[in-house]
Amino acid sequence: MYKKISRLQKLMILTILLFCIPSILFALSADEIIGEMDRLSTFETTYSTGSIQTTDRFGTKTSQFKSWSQGEKDSLIEFTSKAERGQKILRTEGSLYLFYPDAEQLIRMQGAALRQSMLGSDISYEDMTEEKNTLDNYTAKLEREETFKGNACFVLTLTAKSRSVAYPVQKIWVDKQSFLVWKAEYSTAQGRLLKVMEVLETFKSGERVLPKQSKIEDKMKKNSATLMTIDSFEANPHLDRSIFTLENLTW
Amino acid sequence: MMTKLPKIAFRNIFRNLRRSILSAVAIAVSAMSIVMLFGLLAGMEADMANNLQSYYTGEVRIQHAEFEKYKRYNPLHLGVDWKSIEPILADNHQVRAATARINFPANMYLGEKQHGVMGVGADFSSEEAFIDFPSILQEGRLPQEGKNEILMGFALARDMQLGLGDKVTLLSTTATRGSNAFTFEIVGIAGFPVAGLNANSIWAPIDRVQKFLGMDGQTQEILLLLEDGADEKQTAIQIANEIESKLGTATDTRSWTELNMFYGMLRIAKIAYYFIAMFFFVLGSTVIINTTMMVIFERMREIGMLSALGMHGSELTKLFLLEGFFISMIGSAVGVIIGYVGTYYMGKVGLNFTEAFSGMDIEISSILYPQTSILTALVVWAYAVVISTLSTFIPSRHASKIQPVEALRYV
Amino acid sequence: MKFIFSLAMKNLNRYKRRTAITAIAIALGLMMFIIVDSLLLGIELESERNLIWYETSSVRIHQKEYWPDRLLFPLEEGIENPQQVINLLTENGYTATKRTMFKADMILYSDDFGEDGNLSVMVTGIDPEQDNRVFHFEDTLVEGRFLNKGEQNGILLGSWLAEDIKAKIGYWVTLLTRGNGGFFEAIDVQVVGIVNCPNPNVNRTLIMMDENTAGAVLGMDGAVTELDILLPRGADVDIEVTKIQAALDAAGLSELEARSWREMAKDYVAIAETKRGGTAIILFLVFIIAAVGISNTMLMAMYERTRELGMMRALGMKDNHIRLAFMFEAGGIGLLGALAGIVLGALGNIYLVNQGIDVGFLLRDMDIGYRVQSIMRGTWSSKSFIITFVSGIALSMIVSLLPIRRALKMDIPACLRHQ
Repeated sequence: MYKKISRLQKLMILTILLFCIPSILFALSADEIIGEMDRLSTFETTYSTGSIQTTDRFGTKTSQFKSWSQGEKDSLIEFTSKAERGQKILRTEGSLYLFYPDAEQLIRMQGAALRQSMLGSDISYEDMTEEKNTLDNYTAKLEREETFKGNACFVLTLTAKSRSVAYPVQKIWVDKQSFLVWKAEYSTAQGRLLKVMEVLETFKSGERVLPKQSKIEDKMKKNSATLMTIDSFEANPHLDRSIFTLENLTW
Repeated sequence: MMTKLPKIAFRNIFRNLRRSILSAVAIAVSAMSIVMLFGLLAGMEADMANNLQSYYTGEVRIQHAEFEKYKRYNPLHLGVDWKSIEPILADNHQVRAATARINFPANMYLGEKQHGVMGVGADFSSEEAFIDFPSILQEGRLPQEGKNEILMGFALARDMQLGLGDKVTLLSTTATRGSNAFTFEIVGIAGFPVAGLNANSIWAPIDRVQKFLGMDGQTQEILLLLEDGADEKQTAIQIANEIESKLGTATDTRSWTELNMFYGMLRIAKIAYYFIAMFFFVLGSTVIINTTMMVIFERMREIGMLSALGMHGSELTKLFLLEGFFISMIGSAVGVIIGYVGTYYMGKVGLNFTEAFSGMDIEISSILYPQTSILTALVVWAYAVVISTLSTFIPSRHASKIQPVEALRYV
Repeated sequence: MKFIFSLAMKNLNRYKRRTAITAIAIALGLMMFIIVDSLLLGIELESERNLIWYETSSVRIHQKEYWPDRLLFPLEEGIENPQQVINLLTENGYTATKRTMFKADMILYSDDFGEDGNLSVMVTGIDPEQDNRVFHFEDTLVEGRFLNKGEQNGILLGSWLAEDIKAKIGYWVTLLTRGNGGFFEAIDVQVVGIVNCPNPNVNRTLIMMDENTAGAVLGMDGAVTELDILLPRGADVDIEVTKIQAALDAAGLSELEARSWREMAKDYVAIAETKRGGTAIILFLVFIIAAVGISNTMLMAMYERTRELGMMRALGMKDNHIRLAFMFEAGGIGLLGALAGIVLGALGNIYLVNQGIDVGFLLRDMDIGYRVQSIMRGTWSSKSFIITFVSGIALSMIVSLLPIRRALKMDIPACLRHQ
C-alpha cells in the first residue's frame, strides 16, 4: 500500500496537512492521532546502524548493531560490537529467532521466554516484537495538550484491551506536528509506573521526524537505564526479501 | 579371705567355661560392632568431605571479593585471573594442587525442547588431583582443550536420551550481561558420586567456556588442595594476602570449613550418624546387661551355697564383680581386636556397593572405605568393660542380700 | 500334642523371672532394630520427605501443557475450576490443596533494607487453611505469624532467603510480575512471617502469599496452576497416580495430568549416595548385635534347664516330645518378646515419626551461619516390623534347639547332675 504513494504525493499530503493544521487539530480524535503516529513510524524498508548503551548495577556497556526492517512485521538485527559480534535477532510475523555464530542451531524464542531482557538491557525481546498497530491492542483517550521540552504535544492515555499486552496503561506525549512520541510512561493497571521512555534527540528522514536517541528507564530498578542511539538511517532502501528468512540467518 | 577373691573369681571363669564364653561373646560382639560402626561412620564422613572438596569447594576456594555478595545475579564478570594467580600458588609449598572452574547456569536446546543445566568449565589436566575422571567415566573420553566438547552426567544423558556423538546447544548469560549460544558435542558420559551432578551437570574445557561466556582468561573460582597437615584457615589467609600484595586485588579466599553451607551439611550428617552410634551403645549395653544378669541369676544356688558357707554379702558382690570384670576384659579385648582388624581390612579393600545399586537409579561406583582409629578402639574397649562390670553389680548385690536358704531353693 | 503345648505354656508361667528376662532381651533387641532401622531409613528419606512436605507434595496435578513449559511458569496453562477437582479428589479419599506459582521480581527499598535492590523470585500462592493439610509449613514458622485466608498483602519468607536479603517482619517489598496473558502487575506486600523450612532449596527461595490475592493480581479468574495431593501413609505413589488420573479422566477432566513427586524431582540434590551402602551395613550390624543378644540369653535359659530336661527323660517322656515342648516354650518366649518388641518399637517410632529427636543441642556451639534443621525423624516401614517379628520368634526357636540337642545326647544321670 505504501508503494502506491509516490514521494511527490506524500509531500503534497503533508503540505496540505500542514496548511490545515489549525482546523484539523481540534478535529483529530485520539484514534486518528494514534493512526498517524503509527503510520509515520512505519516504513516500507529501513536500514540503520546504532548502539545500545546499558547501565545496571554492574556498570555501563555498549553494543553496536546494524538493523534492517520491512513493513511492520519483519526485522533483523545484527550485533557488531566485540562481545556479541555476529549475533542476530530475526523477527518475522509472530516469531523471534536468535542466531549465534558458534551455535549450530537457531534458538526460537516464544511465549514467556520473550519476556527476557535483550543483552541485559531494559528492553525485552517482547518490546521488540510489539505490534505496531497500537489501536488493535489499546483504547486511546486524548487527555489534554501539553508542551513537552518546547514541543506542543497531545497527551494520550492508552488502556490495554486485553491481558496479553505487557503494559496495561501507557501515557504518551505525541508531537502535534511530527506525531513523534516524545515520551511514554508505561504503568500497571493500578497506575504504578514501570518504565519511562523519553526521546532525547531526533533526526529527520524526509519529512518524518524520528528519534535519534532515546532513553529507557526501568522505574522498578534503581540505577538502571538504557540509551538507544541511531547513528545512521536509510529509509526505503532496496532490500532483498530473503534477508528476513531463516535460511539467510545461517549464512 | 580378701586376697583370695580374685583367684576364686578367676577360677570361676573356667569352672563353667561355656557360660563364661557366652557372656564374653555377647560383650565381644557388641564391642566389635561398635568399633566397626565407628570405622564405617568415619569412612562415610570422609567420603562426604571428599565429595564436597572434589566437586564443590576444594580445601581452599578463591573467588572475586564481591562474588558472594552478588551471587544470585550470576555475576560472571566478577572473576579472578587464573594466569596471574597460578604462579603465586605454585610458589606456595602448602598448596598441593590447584584448578580453575567456572560454574554457569545454561539452557540446553535440543530441537524445540529445552532443559536447564549447570555447566562447569574445567581444566581437565589440573582437575586430576580433584576428580578421578577415569574412574567415573562410563563411556567415551574427556573433552579436549580447544574443542567444543562436553562430558555429561549420566542421568541427564539418560533423561534427555542423549549419547556419545550427539550435539547440544547451550544458551547462557555472558560476563557482559548479554547472551551467547554454543554447540557442543558429547564425547563422554560420567557417573558422578553426587546425584545433583549426575542429573544436570555438563563439563566443558575451560578455555571454550571462557570464550563462550566472554570471560577472557578469567575464571570464576580457583580450588586448592593443600599438603597434609596444612592449616586450611591459616593457609587461606596467607594466600589471600599474597595475592593482594602481589597483584593488588582483593579476593575472597576461604577454607572449606568456613563455607558455611557445605560444611554445615557435613556437620549435620555427622551428628545424625553419631546419634545412630548412640543407639548402638544402648543396644550393645542391653545385650551385655542381659547376658550378665542371666549368668548371675542362674547361679543363685551357688550364691546360696557360698553364703551358707559364711561368705559376706559384700564379698559376694566383689567376687561376682571381679568375675564379670575379667570376662568383660577378655571379651571386650577380643571384640575390639576383631572389629579393628575387620575395619582395617575393609578400609584397605573398600566396600563396593556398585553391585547393590545396579538396579537402582544411581549406577555409580560407590566404594566406601571405613577408617580405623586406635583411640576409638580403646574407648570402646573401656566402655564395654565398664558397662558389663556395672551390670554384674545389680544382680550380684541382689544375690548377696537374699537368705541362703532361699537362694538354695532356686532351680 | 495338646499336652506338650500346655506343658510349654505352664513352663513359661512357672519360671516367670527367666521368661521375663529372656523376653525382655528379645524385646529390647527387636525394639532397637526397629528404631535404628526407622531412623536410618528416616535419614535416607529425609531428602525425600523434605521434597514431599515442602516442595512437591506426593502427587501434583497440572494442566497437560504446563509440564513442558514448567520452568517458565506459564499461567495460561491453569486449572480452571480447582474447587471442582478438589471436591472430586476429596470424594476419592485424597487431601488436596490448590496453589499458584509465579515468577516475580522482588523489589527491595532502602527504607527497610538499607539498600535498594531487586531479585528474581518465585512466589507461591497458597490457600492458608488447606495448605497445611498437605504441606507442613505451619510447623516451621519461626517468626511472626502464618498467612490468613484472603490476606491482601502479607507474605511469608523462607528463613535463608530472609537472612540473605536481611528481611525482617514488617518490612515492605514490591512484587513485580506478569499476569495471566502477559500484562505487568505490581503489588506491595509486607513480610508477616518467616518459616525455617528444612528443605534447603525451598528455604533459600520461598515466598508465599494468599492464593486468592495472587489470583486476583495475576488475573487468573479463579484458576490455579497446580493442585497438590497428600497420599495416605504408606500408599504406593505410582498406583495412586494411576488411580487419580483415572478419576480425572472419568470426570471428563482429561486435560489434567497427575504426576508423582518422584517424577517431579528427578534432579534433586543429595550429597552422598554412598551413604545408602553404609546404612545397609549399619543395619546389618544392629541385626548382629540383637541376634547375638537374643541367642545368648536363649542359650543360657535353655542350658539352665538341662536338669529339668533330664528329669523329664527319666520319667519316660519321648525325646521328640521333649524337643517340641522346649521349642514351643522358646517360641512362646520369642512370641512374647517379639510382641513386646514390636509394641515398644512402634511406640518409640510414633514419637520418632511425629516429633523426631531434636539434635539441635549438639549444634548449639557450632556456628554454621544458617539456622539448620536439626530434627531427626523416623519413618514407618512395615517390612522392618515383619522382619523383626518373624526373626524374633524364629531365632529363639532355632537357638533353643542347640542346647536341647546337646542335652538329649547326654545320658540321663549326666543331665541330672548338670549344674
